[in-house]
Amino acid sequence: MATLGQFLLLLAFVISAYAAAASVAGARRRNGRLIESGTGALYLVAAVMTVATGVIVHAFVVGDFSIRYVQRYSESAQPLGYKIASYWGGLDGSVMFWVFLLSLFGATAVRVNRERHRELIPYVVATLSVVQMFFLFLMISHNNPFSTYLTEAPATGQGLNPLLQNFYMAIHPPTMYLGFVGLTIPFAFCIAALITGHLDDSWLRAVRRWTMISWFFLSLGLTLGMIWAYEELGWGGFWGWDPVENAGLLPWFTATAFLHSVMVQERRGMLRVWNVTLVITTFFLTLFGTFMTRSGVVQSVHAFGEDRQLALMFTVFMSAVLLFSFGLVIYRLPLLKARNELDSWVSKEAAFLANNWVLVFSAAFVLFATMFPTLSEAISGERLTVGPPFFNTWMTPVGLILLLLTGVGPLLAWRSSTLANLREQFVWPVVTALVAGAITLALGIRVWSSGLCFVLSGFVVGTITQEFLRGAAVRKQSTGTDLFTALVGLVNRNKRRYGGYTVHVGIVLMFMGFAGEGFGRDEQALLKPGQQVQVDRYVLRLDAIRATEDSQKQMVTGHITVLDTRGRELGKMYPAKWFYRSKPQEPTTEVAIRRSLAEDLYIVMAGFELGEQSASVEVHVNELVNWIWIGFGLMALGTGIALLPERVFALAGARVGAEATAALLLLSLLLTPVGALAQTASDGVGAGTASGTLVFRSALERDLANEIMCTCGCRLPAGTCGMMNCAGKAAQLGKIKTLVAEGQTREQVIATFVQDFGGQHILARPIDEGYHRLLWLLPYTLAGFTALGLAFIARRWASGRTDQAGLGVPATAADAGLQQRLDDELRDLD
Amino acid sequence: MPVSNNDSTMNSAISTDLGLRPWQLFLLAGMLAATAVVLVSSGRSTSGVVVLSVTVVAASLVAVAAYRSLSPLVSPEDLVPDAPAGGHTRAALEREKALVLRSIKELEFDHAMRKTAAADFEEMRDRLKVLAVGLIRQLDSAGYREAVERDLAARGGRSAVVTPAPPAVPVQAMPSARACAACHTSNERDARFCKACGVALAGPT
Repeated sequence: MATLGQFLLLLAFVISAYAAAASVAGARRRNGRLIESGTGALYLVAAVMTVATGVIVHAFVVGDFSIRYVQRYSESAQPLGYKIASYWGGLDGSVMFWVFLLSLFGATAVRVNRERHRELIPYVVATLSVVQMFFLFLMISHNNPFSTYLTEAPATGQGLNPLLQNFYMAIHPPTMYLGFVGLTIPFAFCIAALITGHLDDSWLRAVRRWTMISWFFLSLGLTLGMIWAYEELGWGGFWGWDPVENAGLLPWFTATAFLHSVMVQERRGMLRVWNVTLVITTFFLTLFGTFMTRSGVVQSVHAFGEDRQLALMFTVFMSAVLLFSFGLVIYRLPLLKARNELDSWVSKEAAFLANNWVLVFSAAFVLFATMFPTLSEAISGERLTVGPPFFNTWMTPVGLILLLLTGVGPLLAWRSSTLANLREQFVWPVVTALVAGAITLALGIRVWSSGLCFVLSGFVVGTITQEFLRGAAVRKQSTGTDLFTALVGLVNRNKRRYGGYTVHVGIVLMFMGFAGEGFGRDEQALLKPGQQVQVDRYVLRLDAIRATEDSQKQMVTGHITVLDTRGRELGKMYPAKWFYRSKPQEPTTEVAIRRSLAEDLYIVMAGFELGEQSASVEVHVNELVNWIWIGFGLMALGTGIALLPERVFALAGARVGAEATAALLLLSLLLTPVGALAQTASDGVGAGTASGTLVFRSALERDLANEIMCTCGCRLPAGTCGMMNCAGKAAQLGKIKTLVAEGQTREQVIATFVQDFGGQHILARPIDEGYHRLLWLLPYTLAGFTALGLAFIARRWASGRTDQAGLGVPATAADAGLQQRLDDELRDLD
Repeated sequence: MPVSNNDSTMNSAISTDLGLRPWQLFLLAGMLAATAVVLVSSGRSTSGVVVLSVTVVAASLVAVAAYRSLSPLVSPEDLVPDAPAGGHTRAALEREKALVLRSIKELEFDHAMRKTAAADFEEMRDRLKVLAVGLIRQLDSAGYREAVERDLAARGGRSAVVTPAPPAVPVQAMPSARACAACHTSNERDARFCKACGVALAGPT
């Protein structure tokens, strides 16, 4: 079987090469046979990869441990689902999974577009084939998932890391890969358009849908990753700015930028060079992300390992991609000239420009900060850590600017807005913003970033509501229906726009969830049975610690009763630790979460003593965190609306379609399950009066806990590490406590740590001195340069005149007839 | 609608006596093979057998795709790629027109939402209307030309090379609202002299 698998990979490589060659030759020679054959070869690669996937999945399912990869990531007692999920559990299989998905996506994209974009197809096939060839080459030459043991194969497998044996392992990597891989398709079409010179908007249309779908899967993958981190890893947070996380975020930024700037190109023929650049950059970033996580170039808790040869191969390929793509762009620059100028800074185009600037800046910033430790090691030999505090400091204002733009963009007109326009459009959103601000102040929230976030959220919600209501009013007037039908018809006729607005509302909710992190509570408590502690408005009482077991693992569970401050029972929670028999040294943390719309009560059992029945628990109160997941749900809905086919309802006849859509939307809204909100019944149980110990941590200690890294390899600050059986965290926190108790200041404590650990890598962000200044200076300089560049370009646009070579269409009497026909068609069109 | 060349390779004269298309034949063979595999491996784990039979069916898809890839090379029919750079098929023109019409409607909607100033609105709308009229005119003439070419092809016996349609109206079409009184050329809205003949244009700018 292994031999068959290897053969199939080799076969796929050869066929891809043929596909590329045949397509290009056929296109150059106008030979339809070769083009058809090349396209068929692309389908063939997809079929071959499907068989290869079947082979390896079969090997996992039956436990063929003669294959190294299977032996490494599977074992007999592993549940079937995880045996299959192990396909993408390791590096070799993940590359194969990548090729598999790419071949399927590529085949689908080509098949769907083969009539509509005939002229582009040969080069699309060629580009996709070349990318496939690279990954196949990686596998064949270096990381073969089918490689076997030369001598005696072990009888048993090692098994998938217990940390990966959960539901999210089955869905998070596939969705991430769908997102990454899907972004190859726009790139292929872009290259085809550049090569053939067909740079009108048709390649954009081919590509817009794919980009949206891929963007959606990328967003889904990132959100699933956040949920996974939140529910499984037990550090109470959901995003650690880990390099692998950032790798997924980078193409998301540029893809989002592209989805917006594409609208400017369609409406006004501007930003054409920029759009091709964005598409190429997005693809490049997907490659770069893959490179980062598999080459050992950055250290990460997610990384697949270190491999210099792999790094070299990736570097060569990525360089080739950049050179070739941007070479094409330069070659086609004359065809990509804009048709219009930027007439005013107070216009939608300008807002989109600003939006793009912020997003691309974010991508560049995150990329640089992620690579900085590697760069500093290359330059000075000293490896640093750039941790969450650094990212959060900078990304917070950036995020707020983005939120502001989300609200401002829809209010501005294309080309330019007059003062009267502005006044009329901005009134209500500003009012809602102020109302939101007042509510925020009334609730006692005093964290400036969170407060500002809420104000801006109010602004955006005001804008979007206004858009929906005004649009419905306009439509109501022109169609004479009631408001609700008008609303549905409105969305139906402008799916992209209103789907987009729905996505924006989702984003607002997610931002609110992020803002909630600014005023949550974290405490650590030591409890014996019967003892209780108070955290925020909850009282937690430990009842007992119980040990149970099943075929795979032993489980130690804490039984905790949650009461409110008046002694009424709110519910029971069961944080636990699971010890897998195959890996007893690496227990997993099972978190207990009590959710509500306002906040989550999040309990982790960090340690326990079965004999004494005592437990050390970490308690987090995470404010508004569920709005992140709800927000994503809205994003999904919005994307779905935007992706609905334009034609379907147009053919059915506008008014009929509207009714049908109304029914459908209403039905879907009613059927959407609202998230379960935990509010368990309150039994009046008499609360025990014995009090447990709440570990006191002063403000300085908490601050320092976020600045000193944990030593267990989690790459998180000691304050947030929630890794199972972490030995480093307690030591670090204890040391901080001691030093603070001795009266040391913040700088002195930091200096002590640097001295004791022999370098600044123990800090969550490098000290701002020496050449580390560069890291701190970067955001300022980057923002400054790009702003200057933007202003320069805009000025050149505004002063220069684009050459409008007209056709000189004579306005004769014949036109009158055509004009009449045009008016008729417009009237019939909804 | 352009002839779908893909299907022709699949529907070629090589259909079996059973009236099966090639891909159906391969798929059937694959399913039979999968059944055989299931029967042979009775007693093994269910999931393994399931995966195996799916893989076998996938292998038949390999055969289908291989056929699809190789048959164009040996097919007796002449396959001509569609009109290359510079030409657009009728379908493409239709789509283009539909999109321009949509843009006009969207523009009118934006105007009703008070998102565009009146002057901007009229200028953009007029430009789009000229574009749409141009496309309608092209579609009218394109239909005629296609009919002529089909006729020629039928007479010639050889598949005709589709002559490229006149270049699609570049989107840089003139924003026009002012026709010159002398030569009837459309000029820009704020033009003061005709760009073709130089005569001063009447009326307010």
